[in-house]
Amino acid sequence: MKKTLVFAVAVGAVLAGAVPMWAHHAFAAEFDADKPVKFKGTVTKMEWINPHAWIHIDVKGDDGKVTPWMVEAAAPNALLRRGWTKKDLLAGTEIVVEGFQAKDGANRANGSVIMFTDGRKLFVGSSAGDPGAAPGTTFKDK
Amino acid sequence: MRRRLFVPAAALAAAAAVFVMAAGQAAAQAAKPAAAKSWVQPKTPWGDPDLQGTWTSDDCIGTPLNRPASFGDRLYYTEQELANRENQLERQRQNDLQETVAPNQRVGTGPPSHWGERARRPCRQTSLVIDPPNGHVPDMTAAARLLPVPEGAGNNNPKADSYTDFSYYIRCITRGVPGSIFPVIYGNGQQIVQGKGFVSIMEEMVHEARIIPLDGRPHVGSKVRSYMGDSRGHWEGNTLVVETTNFLGNRTGIVGNGGGTPTSDALKTVERFTRVGPNEMHYEITLDDPKTWVRPFTVGFPLTIEPGYRNFEYACHEGNYAMFDSLSGARAQEKKAAAAKAAAK
Amino acid sequence: MHDSWRARVLPAAFFCCLAALPGRAQAPARPSPPIPRMPDGKPNFTGLWQALGTANWDIRDHSSHAGPFFQLGAVGAEPAGQGIVEGGDIPYTPKAAAQQQENYKNRLKLDPEVKCYMPGIPRANYMGFPFQIIQSQKDIAFAYEYATSNRVVNMGKFIDPSTDTWMGTSNGHWEGDTLVVDVSGLNGNSWFDRAGNFQTENTHIVERFRMADADHINYEATIDDSTIYTRPWKISTVLYRRKEKNAQLNEFKCVEYAEELIYGDLVKK
Repeated sequence: MKKTLVFAVAVGAVLAGAVPMWAHHAFAAEFDADKPVKFKGTVTKMEWINPHAWIHIDVKGDDGKVTPWMVEAAAPNALLRRGWTKKDLLAGTEIVVEGFQAKDGANRANGSVIMFTDGRKLFVGSSAGDPGAAPGTTFKDK
Repeated sequence: MRRRLFVPAAALAAAAAVFVMAAGQAAAQAAKPAAAKSWVQPKTPWGDPDLQGTWTSDDCIGTPLNRPASFGDRLYYTEQELANRENQLERQRQNDLQETVAPNQRVGTGPPSHWGERARRPCRQTSLVIDPPNGHVPDMTAAARLLPVPEGAGNNNPKADSYTDFSYYIRCITRGVPGSIFPVIYGNGQQIVQGKGFVSIMEEMVHEARIIPLDGRPHVGSKVRSYMGDSRGHWEGNTLVVETTNFLGNRTGIVGNGGGTPTSDALKTVERFTRVGPNEMHYEITLDDPKTWVRPFTVGFPLTIEPGYRNFEYACHEGNYAMFDSLSGARAQEKKAAAAKAAAK
Repeated sequence: MHDSWRARVLPAAFFCCLAALPGRAQAPARPSPPIPRMPDGKPNFTGLWQALGTANWDIRDHSSHAGPFFQLGAVGAEPAGQGIVEGGDIPYTPKAAAQQQENYKNRLKLDPEVKCYMPGIPRANYMGFPFQIIQSQKDIAFAYEYATSNRVVNMGKFIDPSTDTWMGTSNGHWEGDTLVVDVSGLNGNSWFDRAGNFQTENTHIVERFRMADADHINYEATIDDSTIYTRPWKISTVLYRRKEKNAQLNEFKCVEYAEELIYGDLVKK
């Protein structure tokens, strides 16, 4: 009975015109659900910008040709509060990306899953955990 | 290292008194913050109640605006329900800390879970609407129901003829007054800085700075209208009361980052900020817009100060690749469709 | 006769009364209003401020110029003005000087102000828009009208920038009655003016705000960036308190004014 209540609450939250979890971004306008992509690449740089950060990677094809891609990541604000900073993703790092390609056919994808080559998540951590917040700020200092 | 469920009990005793209702007790009205016995409202050196700090609404991320019908008039969860929600949060925490990607990890076009920020403790409310007692936004007027709603997301094939098809948030313009403070999946920072005669609230998205004069000056004339309206504040005891008028109208709404049916130029809001502990504030906003809703209603939720939490710049427009990409994607698809049509002839 | 009476009596009366007054040096001068202060004695910068002059057009000395669109006539033209750069010139390296010239040539395309991008520091302080300072016993907030830009100067323990931003990371402290603000972590995308004078992500700025009196702030900023300047250099100007009874910060959310320019090519025909 309790389980049902919790489930009902969760479902209700989604259906009852709740503050939608994802109502902030026109993903469906940007990325094509019919064009799944998965590739491995080497990070060249990460743009820490809003609304979302973008990871630039070089993807080497089977023919040896290198194609630059850009992958959409979370808002820097959320990453910074999880303790992630620019230094944490250096150029040269190899990552694996799974997502969908841009609707206009450009070499852009949403980073639905971003991980290191050994399967470890890129942006591990919870903002609700202990401060792993951006360096230099502690509550005690105020 | 693992966080306790609540910040030190003593510190939150006063806040807990506000938000915990005995199981089964109907919450017929918005709970007025109880006066704390051990905590004294700090004052600024010039004698105003001190509400300063960087606050966040993270704890009520995911709480629906409208209360699910099963709760009836009950605003607060029971202890058991709260315990269940804490378990959910804990499972989410464990998931977040999982070092490796799950083998059945879903790949989609929407924002992955790791984009979101998290509640640190379960939100005690069954809805963000706290008045009327049924926890529902009142009915819209007939005219408001006919208004076109700018696109947020969730539309699988959104019209993208122009930037004007998108919400003011996706255009990186603004989320409006309620939209800039209601909890969403990230970016919920609210930094309050007070001065003699003013309160300012620096809201993380979209880098808003609400300037609230306290000297009793009248509102600007009716010809000066804006997205974030014109605010005037005064103190009622230790509560900051902010009245805002002079909205442009027909721009932002109240659903998810200022989306949904836009409110009108008749909108008047009254907000109340009451600090109930060192790290907790009770926030309420009453929305009165006779052109949009048949009666006024009130939304409320707690704001908290969290160790290490601060605002970061959310520049938005300056890096809005998403707008380019959405429009370019739509034009590419039209081209493709036109080419296919031509080829079929 | 009438006139000669006037010619003799009135001046005499005048000098008579003047003589009765204390000497000019001792005449009670109208006192300038005292600098407003916080309870702890620090100057209180809270208020609405705005720069005058033409620094936002060009921070160096400049003549007036026709504007880029003849359709705007005199309305789009640039006024003349005295520069705010101490010493007159910006000490660019030769390569950077060439870059500034390129910027100027393409300023309509490149000036971030045209696109309603946040103006960064120091430019936000001397645009043709006011800004509100709200000073608490802890931090100091600056809310700029242009593009709803803002920043909070942290007056506590120094905060390192976690990432580069448009408005930079501001850390302040007092040196007597002068508010000294260290601005780092700028992303280098901002210009100093509409004339293409520019910064990089290595640019570091130290601002000094000092009230000359209750209604005037002497504002200075020292800029250093060894990647484009041969030495640090300084700007200085005056910020004026807006005194009109009904003066307040208004809203200038200019993104909408720039959208057609930025996205117009991608809009469905």
